[in-house]
Amino acid sequence: MSDVINTQRAKKQALGPYGRVGKSLDELDDRLGLARGGRTFMDKIFPDHWSFMLGEIALYSFVIIMVTGVFLTFYFIPSSALVTYHGSYLPLDGQKVTQAFSSTVNISFAVRGGLLMRQMHHWSCDIFVGAIVVHMARVFFTGAFRKPRELNWTIGLTLLILAIGNGFFGYSLPDDLVSGTGIRIAYSIMESIPFVGTYMAFFIFGGNFPGTSTIPRFFILHVLILPLVILGLLGAHLFLLVRQKHTQFPGRGRTEKNVVGSPMFPVFMAKTTGFLFIVSGITALLGAFAQVNPIWQFGPYDAARISYAVQPDWYMGFLDGALRIFPSWSFMAFGHTIPLEVTIPAVIFPGIIFNIAYLWPMLERKFTKDNEIHHLLDRPSDRPKRTAAGVTVLVMLSMLHIASSTDVIANFFHLSLNAVLWGMRILTVILPIVAYPLTYKLCKELQGVRGAGKRKTPNIVSRTAEGAYVATPTPAYGEDVGHELEATPVPAYIESEPEEPLESGVRTVDR
Amino acid sequence: MTSPLIKRCLAVSIISLMGLGPVVLFVGVAQASYKATPYQTSRKNAGTPNSTMVKKNSDGVIIAYGNSSITYRAPSAALVTLGDALFQQNCASCHGTQANGVPANGTAGAFPDLVGLGPATINFWVDSGRMPAANPRSIEAIRRVPRLTHHQALAVSAWVNSLSPSYPDIPYPHLKNANVADGAALFALNCASCHTIEGDGDALAMSTFSPSLRKIPSIEVAEAIRTGPANMPRFTGNLSDAQVNDIVKYVTTEIQHPNNPGGFGLGGLGPVAEGFVGLAFGVGILALAGFWVGERDD
Amino acid sequence: MTDEHRTPVSLSGLSSNDPRLQPAARHPELVERVISVCFIVGTLCLAGFGACYWIDAQPWKLGATLGAGLLFLGIGIVAWGKYLMPRGPFVEERHTLANSDADRQAFAAAIVERGGSVVQRRKLLGGLLGGGMGIFGVVVMFPLLRSLGPLPKRTLQHTDWRSGSYVVDQSGRRVEVGDLAVGSIETVFPEGTENSDRGQAVDQTVLIRVSNEAFTTMKGRETWAPHGYVAYSKVCTHLGCPVGLYEQELQLLVCPCHQSMFNVTNGAVPQFGPAPRPLPQLPLYVDSSGFLRSQSDYHQAVGPGFWERS
Repeated sequence: MSDVINTQRAKKQALGPYGRVGKSLDELDDRLGLARGGRTFMDKIFPDHWSFMLGEIALYSFVIIMVTGVFLTFYFIPSSALVTYHGSYLPLDGQKVTQAFSSTVNISFAVRGGLLMRQMHHWSCDIFVGAIVVHMARVFFTGAFRKPRELNWTIGLTLLILAIGNGFFGYSLPDDLVSGTGIRIAYSIMESIPFVGTYMAFFIFGGNFPGTSTIPRFFILHVLILPLVILGLLGAHLFLLVRQKHTQFPGRGRTEKNVVGSPMFPVFMAKTTGFLFIVSGITALLGAFAQVNPIWQFGPYDAARISYAVQPDWYMGFLDGALRIFPSWSFMAFGHTIPLEVTIPAVIFPGIIFNIAYLWPMLERKFTKDNEIHHLLDRPSDRPKRTAAGVTVLVMLSMLHIASSTDVIANFFHLSLNAVLWGMRILTVILPIVAYPLTYKLCKELQGVRGAGKRKTPNIVSRTAEGAYVATPTPAYGEDVGHELEATPVPAYIESEPEEPLESGVRTVDR
Repeated sequence: MTSPLIKRCLAVSIISLMGLGPVVLFVGVAQASYKATPYQTSRKNAGTPNSTMVKKNSDGVIIAYGNSSITYRAPSAALVTLGDALFQQNCASCHGTQANGVPANGTAGAFPDLVGLGPATINFWVDSGRMPAANPRSIEAIRRVPRLTHHQALAVSAWVNSLSPSYPDIPYPHLKNANVADGAALFALNCASCHTIEGDGDALAMSTFSPSLRKIPSIEVAEAIRTGPANMPRFTGNLSDAQVNDIVKYVTTEIQHPNNPGGFGLGGLGPVAEGFVGLAFGVGILALAGFWVGERDD
Repeated sequence: MTDEHRTPVSLSGLSSNDPRLQPAARHPELVERVISVCFIVGTLCLAGFGACYWIDAQPWKLGATLGAGLLFLGIGIVAWGKYLMPRGPFVEERHTLANSDADRQAFAAAIVERGGSVVQRRKLLGGLLGGGMGIFGVVVMFPLLRSLGPLPKRTLQHTDWRSGSYVVDQSGRRVEVGDLAVGSIETVFPEGTENSDRGQAVDQTVLIRVSNEAFTTMKGRETWAPHGYVAYSKVCTHLGCPVGLYEQELQLLVCPCHQSMFNVTNGAVPQFGPAPRPLPQLPLYVDSSGFLRSQSDYHQAVGPGFWERS
């Protein structure tokens, strides 16, 4: 008996102080040399701020897209071959539809859990792109793209474009009436490019519209090629994040030389895993209660059929809006046509917007001559010009996005469609112009009222021996201090407004 | 004391106002350039009783015709007197006492001439509540709660029809014989381009609207298809009675009672509502959740 | 907690009784109870998901149980991390990524000097290899691009309407002159293409009957609209959507995609919206048996603009 106990004790001792786990880690370290790096990784500090979770929404949405997408590929048939539908949805019974459409209807009605998976897939895509945009806005307005993170900004922007593109491909796959109209429009946009447009359209879509190559090609792009590129870039995005360490807002104890927050293990790991569950939970609830893209109601695509009020998914809305409100300028001369009414809003305009976004870190470096390395974030109001520029672009894109539903607006408010369209044309031009100075002014005002919302502290008024009254402010309340963010120190020539010497106790706000 | 910023703002607003002027002018011109064209289509040559099942009364007047898909019935002649009284009371102030579109103190052409339009047309306008119109001068009469009952609407159409008997009579579709799948396909080809594929209606050119089909009774659907009220084109000669019956069946079943298996139908606004829900509920709630998850500063 | 303990410190070498290693919650037991309730409810919901799947319940039940289960588990896990784990704050030093000047120079020297000496001494080889790779790059594009689809040739300029094509509807029935009532619209095709993809996409045409029997849309088209039958290409000149929306009082054809409005009475000239060109009109005639037929193909290319379109 005691022998047994002794053996057990001996065994335990042989395992070392950290037991079986420790032993396995030792074995692993023998082979891979993980211990030191692993320790550093476990101790890695992530700053706590709500806005740093926006990117995680995107990341976890992508995880959901992958999981639900794999499920869908088991049942989806990417083929334009015609079959006669005989399924459980009676209004389609006996109709000649493509296999792509028929299999998507079958996923919705015949595959157990299929409709939920389809709807979660679609919702998480809407959320994915939305979260990327919000995350990108956060990065832009807080200046997180500055040196040394320009490369990660570029990768992130590429991810946004790929996400939009892959969203469009996926949206097109069911070959229903609404998505088919979308493909038709994409084809025409391709065709509109001068010199090479028709060739590009014929090569990409495999001939004149509609052709039979579109669905299979979009399928392989949607499920293999683009996801691979997105995965690779996502890996690079996260690697750079770890390598360069996260940015943080300025505050107590936070400097350019450190990161303050929670450690990777266990705090961050628990929070981020929990967040993955929350994101999937919300997506599943949306998939359960909000019907998305009911293709069985739309019916199969047929080039001669059309539904009114067809809009693309939200992330393509700005393109559709731009196409709606752009005037009918076409260049026709010398036996050639340049359909400017399509090329400018759908090719040149997004090209300019995305190129400016790509070049922005460089442009800002050039204009501010700020070549420093920044790890502390800006408060948007501290950089009024950048903030105003960002708001201008966002306002313009939002107006274009709203312009893609002129008919819905006109119907909802019972207005003339033509008047609404003209209204959107005017607003799309005017509002961004108004937005810039407004934002600029607002930022300047916000700079002046630093500490707004905090409790006021009493002044102690005392009388000097000479009879003069002196007001001395008491120190701020304990809980209020430390929340106050100080602007990152940057070279003086940035935002180089001529600074007037301040009189004590007098705040000046630029008028 | 004006800073350069204010000056710049002023300059920008003046420039934009200068740009706005012609734009507003243009809108005005675009709106004003709309006028009734000389090519107003007449509805006087509607489908006649060309089908095999024709029923006549003792005087040899056709009172019903049709087939296994739709039966067209003329409103009973007994209602003419009642219809006359109702018409003089509710309609004559615009359409004139003789229903010829000439009010007592007006000139011809100000209001539509109703003579010879056929019972289905009159019945549709009155029974759907569009007539008597809320605002006789508006471009479009809007559907609202009917002022006259079904019976009274029939009486009005009986009287107007008695002035110059014409067709089509009031269609009564036999939905039991209809094929909903054919209806779906025909709906997508012929109807969805205005009423949207989910039948919700939308804003069309100028200040015209295609109405929602969600609550339209089957007779009115068939009447609208056959007579083409207002801006709606008429589907006579291109759709058979069986096809109209199929469409009516699809509208009154799948459009009006969709079995949204995926949850709430989101008002049928399509991707607009989906985008709104995705951004406001999806990203919005998750950002709020992120606010709770991310902050750890107590 | 006192102010002093809110100063961030490094995680390593912290004594185990440091207040920063204490849970962040003021009442950890209460939080623990709440979290365990979350976990229990979440687990029950997920079990419910399994049950719903087993009995093949409606999708919303599947989604509701799955979503609620994941949500409760997630809330529990986050609360665990947020309230019951070391409150911190902790700090980590940020080391500059840039290496020392010596390292940089050594790296640059390795590439520039070593590489330069190899390439510069063998310029011919470098040039040949570069040329070869360049030609390979160009050549490899041929199959990648050219095999993707046929050349456009003149397929975009023509439709399948011919001189004498019968006008048929989608079921293939020939349209007779007495068929359509005034104010009616129908989608028609040249006979034989009504079931083909190309017919649907390229040849689709709207046939409208107006009240004016001697209807002329514009000068030079006097014979094109016999008996008030006027036919326009259904492919929008903006982006190719089917222009299926006809408002008969306004006499407008409206494109449902981007709301271009074409005036039926004057040759479908765009009256509003982004479309730049009128819809091409198809010349029709009525043959001796009363069937509608086309005089010829459209006189312009149908659909949206492209470079080769004249």
